[in-house]
Amino acid sequence: MSEDILVRPAIETPADAPLAVPARGPKLPLEGWIGAILVATLVLVALLAPWIAPAPPNDMDLLALLQWPSWSGEPPLHLMGTDHLGRDILSRLMWGARIACVVAFLAALGAAIFGTILGVIAGTMGGRVDWVISRMVELWMSFPPVVLSLLLMVALGTGVGNVIFAIVLVDWTRFCRVVRSEVLVIRTQNYVAAAQLMGFGHLRIMWREVMPGVMPTLITLMAMEMGIAVRVEAVLSFVGMSVAADVATWGQMIADARANMTEMPWAMLAPVLAIVVTVIGFNLLGDGLRRRLDPRLLARGDTT
Amino acid sequence: MKRMTGILRLVVPRLLSVALMMFLVSVLVFAALRLLPIDPIGAALPPGATEAERQLIMKEFGLDRPIVEQYVMWASNLTQGRLGMSINLRTDVGAPLAAAIPATLELVMAALAVGITLGVGGGLALFAVRGTAMEPLGNVVTSILASIPDFVWAIFGILSMGVWWRALPFIGRIDSGLVVHEVTGFMLIDTLVAGQWDSFANALLHLVLPATALGLAFAPMVTRILRSSLLTVILEDFIHFARLRGVSEREVLLKHALRNAALPTLSLIGVQAGFMFGGTLLVEAIFGWPGLGSLMVTAARGGDMPMIQGAALVYCLGVLLINLIVDMASLALNPRLRKS
Repeated sequence: MSEDILVRPAIETPADAPLAVPARGPKLPLEGWIGAILVATLVLVALLAPWIAPAPPNDMDLLALLQWPSWSGEPPLHLMGTDHLGRDILSRLMWGARIACVVAFLAALGAAIFGTILGVIAGTMGGRVDWVISRMVELWMSFPPVVLSLLLMVALGTGVGNVIFAIVLVDWTRFCRVVRSEVLVIRTQNYVAAAQLMGFGHLRIMWREVMPGVMPTLITLMAMEMGIAVRVEAVLSFVGMSVAADVATWGQMIADARANMTEMPWAMLAPVLAIVVTVIGFNLLGDGLRRRLDPRLLARGDTT
Repeated sequence: MKRMTGILRLVVPRLLSVALMMFLVSVLVFAALRLLPIDPIGAALPPGATEAERQLIMKEFGLDRPIVEQYVMWASNLTQGRLGMSINLRTDVGAPLAAAIPATLELVMAALAVGITLGVGGGLALFAVRGTAMEPLGNVVTSILASIPDFVWAIFGILSMGVWWRALPFIGRIDSGLVVHEVTGFMLIDTLVAGQWDSFANALLHLVLPATALGLAFAPMVTRILRSSLLTVILEDFIHFARLRGVSEREVLLKHALRNAALPTLSLIGVQAGFMFGGTLLVEAIFGWPGLGSLMVTAARGGDMPMIQGAALVYCLGVLLINLIVDMASLALNPRLRKS
């Protein structure tokens, strides 16, 4: 009888079925998948742009200025129309995706590394160091992000590298704040105390015990930050403070299309849609990862 | 009397901290534009200026002194209300900035009104459909709406309402033909005081698209936080007891739950309102709205350092003041925060 209680009834598995690996939690939710697919598409387009784009981004087809998208007729066909200089919108969108991707990944990575290092230092050292870093974050938070990034771009000068640098300098606080508070919680956990009792060094405890706990939040934040970076780059391009004017970026395309907005609204709408879909992709991916990875949300059964 | 000192004890440290932050902000703004490798007077020099002329201008602007001394000079001028000469406008930066502030404030307030109305409505609606099949849909829609930045709403608004239907104006604060006697700088107030109904209506129409663009970007955050605070509050004992007392579900929601869920929402609105204040920068540039944002974008394109510094300082002061006001409002509404 006692055996019946202790031993769970065997789950009937068909002999040829693969062994069920116990999942650590629910799978990536639907919106996570949608986000992942959107992001993967973006990356693929960005990587393949030189081969799949119908024309070089700055080639002008002077016989076809401000054309609506056309799918049949004499070549060269402009599947998504042309802008006021006769440049192929589809090609420019694809080349713009390259800049968007580079900025998104490098800026998010830079902000994550910089912010995490400061956050971990503040969280573990405590005391005066923590005070100074927290005041720095507060100082940064009193700048509206757009204002600070514009200020930095004026100071640094234009160029993709400087855009990335400016975004890192503006957005490290997002990571620092969250990582710091995570570290403060994790530091009090028993497994960290156990590691300390076993005499592991400070760095090892940070790297092997604390960082894994911070990782889920960090990954989620990075996905969100990529969306923010794409947005900021577009904003800076739009006001003419991002990259050189002959580089195809989505923000530049919006700025270029403004003058002919009444005759050719599509030239403006196309890059806007590209930005929106990209940001939605990164955000949905971030939301999905958060629900999949955050142990607290899983424990509460809260899936919002 | 005792009440007064109690209030002072809460207010004074906060004012001091705003002052300290403003000082640090000024150091940062100064440092960002002076320590980085840029030529601070490049735009002020006539083309083909000689090295001697260059030195003369450097001297005139005090740029040959040590950096700390330069900062002290700049900061002491600041405290006397002199923000420096605009390199492109050739006037003191203060006057154009002061003229631009009401335009930006008017936009921010209108946008907050739109954003809070939509956000609270959305939060209540999402809360109302909790546990139904509509809920996941509502969540995804909120997620997507939250991903659409203000400048995108602005462009959608211009293309649909301005270009396609020609229903709303989308350039400036008022039609150029209308003359408004400026008293406060707030279009809506000035036209109302003067009794110019046509101009008032015109200014209001000009406000619709930019305020809606900012408001729409703002609303999803309010919706999310309100919904999740409502979900937390509704489980509390006092809600249960209110229901047991026979209070109707509608009244439970509006009188008890909403009041308690309002606090976290309010503090989030404070933080986000600060960000939105910055978001006006681009929306102003898009709509040709003659506020701080247009001023700063023009200055950034023209390399007009004193103007950029001045505008950045005004933005930061705005954010700090918004945070202070929200902080105070939370203290007034929630006695539990007043301890310590």
